[in-house]
Amino acid sequence: MTAALRADLEQALGAEHVAAEDAREWRVSPGAAAEVAEVVRIAGRHGAAIIPVGSASRAPRLRGVDRSRVMVSTRRLDQVIHLDETSLLCHVQAGLTGLGLEKVLTPRGLSIGDYPPSLLGSTLGGLVAVRTPGKSSARHGFFEDAVLGLSAVLADGRTVHTRAAPRRATGPDLARALCGSEGTLGLITSVVLRIHRRPEARFLAAFVLPGVDAAVAATYLALREEAATAGLRVLDAAEAAHWYGAAVCGDGEAVVVAATAGPTDLAACDRDLITSAVRAEGGRDADLALAETWWKRRHSAEPWPGPPPSFQLTATPARLCGAYHAVRGAVTAAGAAARVHLSRFDATGAVLFVTFVDPEAGPVATAPVLTGAREAAVRDAALTAARAAGGYLFGGRARELDPYLQALRAALDPDGLMNPGALVG
Amino acid sequence: MAPPAVDPDRLRKELEAIVGPRRVSMRPVDLDTYARDMWPRLLLARRAGAPPAHLPYAVVWPESAREVASLVKRARALGVPIIPYGGGSGVCGGVVPVHGGVTLDLKRMQALRSVRGDELIADVEAGLSGERFERDLARRGFTFGNFPSSIYCSTVGGWLATRAAGQLSTKYGKVEDRVAGLTVVTGTGELIDTDGPSRALGGPSWTQLVLGSEGTLGVITSARLRLAPAPQLRVFRGFEVGSVAAGTEAIRRVLQRGLRPAVVRLYDELDTFLNSLKPGGGHGDGRDDRRQHAFAPAPLPGEGALPVLPGPPASDRDDGPLRRLLALGRRGSRGLRQDAMGALLSRPRAVNGLVGAVAEKLARKGCRLIIGLEGARIRTEIEAALTFAELERAGCKDLGEEPGKQWLAHRYAVSYKMSPAFRDGAFVDTMEVASSWEQLMDLYHSVRAAIGRHAVVMAHFSHAYPEGCSIYFTFAGHADDRAGSERLYDAIWRDGLEAATRVGGTISHHHGVGLLKGPYMFGEHREAMSLLHGLKRTLDPDDIMNPGKLGLVHPHAPEVDGSGGAGGPGGGGRP
Repeated sequence: MTAALRADLEQALGAEHVAAEDAREWRVSPGAAAEVAEVVRIAGRHGAAIIPVGSASRAPRLRGVDRSRVMVSTRRLDQVIHLDETSLLCHVQAGLTGLGLEKVLTPRGLSIGDYPPSLLGSTLGGLVAVRTPGKSSARHGFFEDAVLGLSAVLADGRTVHTRAAPRRATGPDLARALCGSEGTLGLITSVVLRIHRRPEARFLAAFVLPGVDAAVAATYLALREEAATAGLRVLDAAEAAHWYGAAVCGDGEAVVVAATAGPTDLAACDRDLITSAVRAEGGRDADLALAETWWKRRHSAEPWPGPPPSFQLTATPARLCGAYHAVRGAVTAAGAAARVHLSRFDATGAVLFVTFVDPEAGPVATAPVLTGAREAAVRDAALTAARAAGGYLFGGRARELDPYLQALRAALDPDGLMNPGALVG
Repeated sequence: MAPPAVDPDRLRKELEAIVGPRRVSMRPVDLDTYARDMWPRLLLARRAGAPPAHLPYAVVWPESAREVASLVKRARALGVPIIPYGGGSGVCGGVVPVHGGVTLDLKRMQALRSVRGDELIADVEAGLSGERFERDLARRGFTFGNFPSSIYCSTVGGWLATRAAGQLSTKYGKVEDRVAGLTVVTGTGELIDTDGPSRALGGPSWTQLVLGSEGTLGVITSARLRLAPAPQLRVFRGFEVGSVAAGTEAIRRVLQRGLRPAVVRLYDELDTFLNSLKPGGGHGDGRDDRRQHAFAPAPLPGEGALPVLPGPPASDRDDGPLRRLLALGRRGSRGLRQDAMGALLSRPRAVNGLVGAVAEKLARKGCRLIIGLEGARIRTEIEAALTFAELERAGCKDLGEEPGKQWLAHRYAVSYKMSPAFRDGAFVDTMEVASSWEQLMDLYHSVRAAIGRHAVVMAHFSHAYPEGCSIYFTFAGHADDRAGSERLYDAIWRDGLEAATRVGGTISHHHGVGLLKGPYMFGEHREAMSLLHGLKRTLDPDDIMNPGKLGLVHPHAPEVDGSGGAGGPGGGGRP
């Protein structure tokens, strides 16, 4: 049975693109969308699970998957199919990484846009198929808002193309069924993305405010005046001291670093609107070098220095401060300390990045990050507090809508072959 | 019409058990009223004195989502379709009960439940009229930013169900860009909320999968919508540009520089020419404008701000380019008038060519471009200066603010001005297609040529985005009788939409699908229709929600009329 599956895969793709991972798992690398469709049909015939693998930044979800598995790597699907510089649209294959696309765009004065550079190492198909924290830009919105159309292979081996249009009113947005579906409804083979011209000008600014509350208030004051930021980060005193040294601000204060971009006059206007909002909230200018350091590190190809934040949550604008204080309070009550920064501000809210540290091991800014059982206990306390304060954790699902998602899966994939371990439980 | 699947008396009792006797009607006048929307093809039949081809069994006015849920559950048990109904301003026949059923008029659910200034979110019931919604928001210092020309006769729920767009969409987006969550009664009668931080959650966005479903997946009963602060400043300006191609290029450059005007409207030569025929040289007088704005929030004196909501169109005023086109042949008795217009509209190719040539060569008017910006004061001022400078660099000639103000004063007129043309034996309709900039001129020329074979056609470009733009074609046709008119009408849509699909455009930017465009949905989506069918099976397994729409074929569909098309009455001209 499994030998027959392997033989079929090798016949379709060539033996060099089929690798046995173990007795029941093969990794295949199709070189064209039509080959992806063929792989899906073959797996369907053999009753094997079909599991997409992008840049493999996340382990595939295999829990409860008790059947042969075909891991479909999009590694070879890394071409730009069409670059439309008139409409600023780019049709790319799913396996191309954000960095790979930037290499094509940069010499032409174009760019994917002001997304956090850290996510550009992922494949574009993966970015669209999987929701993970921080895939948003204050200037361009959430990453999937940049998707104007896509192609995907459904469980029955048919390929669907949702044709790109700037906007349409022809029923629900069918491309959005695939966005965030993690390969459970179809395997994305290519996407049509909105791209941008490189901004004419960019300005940076740094401020010190009386506290996190004032910093958040200033940010939303500026957003209401329609200031568009290319990036903005609020760091609480401990986080600021961790990154910039203890002298940067006083206890209880907060640091804001911001970047604006666009036509020179507008980018300068946006910077001035932020400055004036900061002043209105009792803030003062800080050394511009803080913002330059932040921006440089943000765009550096180097991996993030130090361990990643302990956890991330999001909250709507009115609940950001409440969530922040609730988490800090809970962490302190659990005998630990936290440093926090807030980022990805837009009209829907922002993301809080929280790092737990051990206060007995030195000042919060430099204390070691909590690990092991102690970290787990503090995390539980923080999660409870965050939820009570109206924060949302990443990676969850809208439980009450789960039956509909499972029904949609059953309708499109009656045999349950498409990434069966994902989006369940 | 298919007979009701259930005994009318029993149906009435079942419905009355849920909402009481006063909110159920089976009176012929109500059934007749709710048998249609403003789809012009239905008006052709109406004009000929024909009764509606399809009537609902009953009309019900629910007052809560819970009542809607009970009604849907009941209808499901009885096997009776449910058709949600908002303002009835649709132009695609989306509310026609082609398989009978119970029409739910949601206009009694019209509470603006909350407006949260700190979150910039309004919680609003689906039946609220668009105009009242924006007016209430304006009083509190906010806007939703959706100002369709139908704002006085459309509802918030109708906007969401069809993915509507307003005249300020270039800044605020279409409605689907501003939705935080929906409350929906699905085809199984369950009540679901699609709210939540969709960006933090796994799985597809149910909000985006219900928006635009036109009642085929469920009934939208309320929504959480994203607001913007009410604009502090509005700046409007008219420009003149040599050709449509030069005008669209100028707009593209503005948008791709990152500038976001609220209003962008470029009229093609014929549309511009007809606009210039207005008595008084095409300028509105200030007195008129003040009357128009009498009940809108007053602008701050001396600051150039224009009010948020101009009033409804006065019936005696000039009513748009089409009317003026029709007026070209309008002198003498009604009979003479109809003859003149008939003669004019029966030679569409000649008229299209002639008037276009006149506009271009004699009047040397070129194309008119209206640009409007609004928003926070400081940023809007700078953005306006950059926008106008960019347009001038692209070869547009500044005409000052008068053309912009004139447009603003008349901007809701079009939705109310179709009936005079119909009275005179002609018909008028609009076709809104869209594409990326790369394909836009192909789309313009091919759709214009396709319609122009049958009718007098003009166009304007509005709803511009960095990646593309919508084109709004207006056409007027004429035939001697109802059958001829319907044949002509169907041929226009068939050829126009096929041309749009051929060059890679979409068949609808914001009017939706309904019955009219159902036959063209497969051409639009191809295999992706299987995703739509999957959604249908998921949310409405028994196919009771507005069956026969969106190109979804009703499995138990009886022959709906002589044409037998899946698209219902005439099917809008199945290819």
